[in-house]
Amino acid sequence: MAPPDVHHLFHHPIADHSFSADRQTLAVARENNVDLYQRQGGKFQLKDELTGHDKTVTGVDIAPNTGKIVTCSQDRNAYVWEPSPQGWKPTLVLLRINRAATCVRWAPSETKFAVGSGARLIPVCYFEEEDNWWVSKHIKKPIRSTITTVAWHPNSVLLAAGSTDGHARVFSSFIKGVDARPEPSAWGERLPFNTVCGEFLNNTAGWIHSVAFSPSGNALAFAAHDSSLTVVYPSAPEQPPRAVVSISTQLLPFMSLVWSSEDEILAAGYNCEIYRLQGSEQGWQLAGSLESKGRPGMQDQREESALNMFRQMDLKGKVTDDTKLKSVHQNTINTIRSFEESAGNVRKISSSGVDGRIVVWTL
Amino acid sequence: MASLNWRTINIDALDPDSPANFDLSSLTPAIAPVSTADVQALASQIRQLLRGGDSEGALQGALENPPYGADDKGKDIHLATVIEILQSIRQSDMSPMLSRIYSSPGGPEALDVLMKYIYKGMSQTSASSTTRNIAPQATGFSQIHSRGGGEGGGQAMSVLLSWHEKLVEIAGPGSIIRVMTDRRTV
Repeated sequence: MAPPDVHHLFHHPIADHSFSADRQTLAVARENNVDLYQRQGGKFQLKDELTGHDKTVTGVDIAPNTGKIVTCSQDRNAYVWEPSPQGWKPTLVLLRINRAATCVRWAPSETKFAVGSGARLIPVCYFEEEDNWWVSKHIKKPIRSTITTVAWHPNSVLLAAGSTDGHARVFSSFIKGVDARPEPSAWGERLPFNTVCGEFLNNTAGWIHSVAFSPSGNALAFAAHDSSLTVVYPSAPEQPPRAVVSISTQLLPFMSLVWSSEDEILAAGYNCEIYRLQGSEQGWQLAGSLESKGRPGMQDQREESALNMFRQMDLKGKVTDDTKLKSVHQNTINTIRSFEESAGNVRKISSSGVDGRIVVWTL
Repeated sequence: MASLNWRTINIDALDPDSPANFDLSSLTPAIAPVSTADVQALASQIRQLLRGGDSEGALQGALENPPYGADDKGKDIHLATVIEILQSIRQSDMSPMLSRIYSSPGGPEALDVLMKYIYKGMSQTSASSTTRNIAPQATGFSQIHSRGGGEGGGQAMSVLLSWHEKLVEIAGPGSIIRVMTDRRTV
């Protein structure tokens, strides 16, 4: 297994990150701006800065095919950035929300995107040709609290959202004229806008940090603040799900999830490590961490000179410097994303966290 | 009208979509109400097990039936039962007993419940020790007098602390997180 590729960009939290389709450009949300980095050799060089938001940027997503970047922020706005000869050109999106935007994701079709917000609604945004701007349609019911995370089904119509009211929900975001009629699936057959295709709550009703559809879209996983991971397998429209598998871990809560295949999920969060979970409808279990113990340069027992030892004792009152975690990330991991896929399975993932690091992991 | 301070108007009360006007009970899992008499009956059953020397069975019985739906009085009775069981178990028996419960079906959940009772027990013993020394203040916190009180409070705390240590070794920090997250309180 190749060692993780670590890039320490700066000493600020990274709220969200996204790579372009060729994986050469990296967008990171840093305070009120989005920084664009270009890969040069093995390193990332700061190339451009998208300025326009006047509060913390909470989400950034690069559409793989069109290359458009969507950003959202606590200033209640979202922008779509398009490349032009004069640099990146922003277009304001009419979100019509009165609280912060918390997360944003392009639909796989790239004709629309969904924004989570503290206003207890999800603006689903699409481009209006006639007026030449991005407009939004609101998914409102039955959301009772802030939306913390959104994830798209591969058909670009179904949208999963996790909320601080403890529910993970699956909605239809079908917009006439934008979407093709979706194939019927276990989630639903007729799907007018704002249809609730599923509403799930785990026992503790802890708030939801992350939701994700499996690669086929026939299962939904969500991670909650009670350190649990729940996987839902729907049976048929309007029917109770075939199986709901919930595992509560001994770890701190997960903040982000990625399905690497139909029977494996990668999850990371407050434990600062990425964990593998494996299972099926019959049950899921934790299958270990991606961290390899005893990586070179990370051993804690180093030969110390006597002088150095006494100097450390004098300065810090202790010999060993135990302010470093043994994991690659030195703080909470906020976002993990698929980096490289082949034959439907994820081969590499990228992670970003509060420590300002971007790490690419080989599975 | 001119002197009205607009910033002090509670706009949420005027907004029909506001969370202030929601029925919050629908957000939490449904909990069946439990009467105090039922809690008392369970407590006497558990005491019987305890007298018979089956402290593990008593602990498991108490943790599998937490009275989430009971009122404050019922919850206090069950807390007293759990603490009594915890105090009756010797320190050397704690870890093996916890590992056995953890590996049994439904065990992780039972240990989460135990963690809730440990924290609740701690909050009560500390409240009683502060009320001994300091005059009660109108802080809004409930000042519940513990059983035993006095030196017994300190002893109860040390029992709870050693249980806490052993429990974190087995159930991990996840169980502490779940005490804070869970909307079903004991």
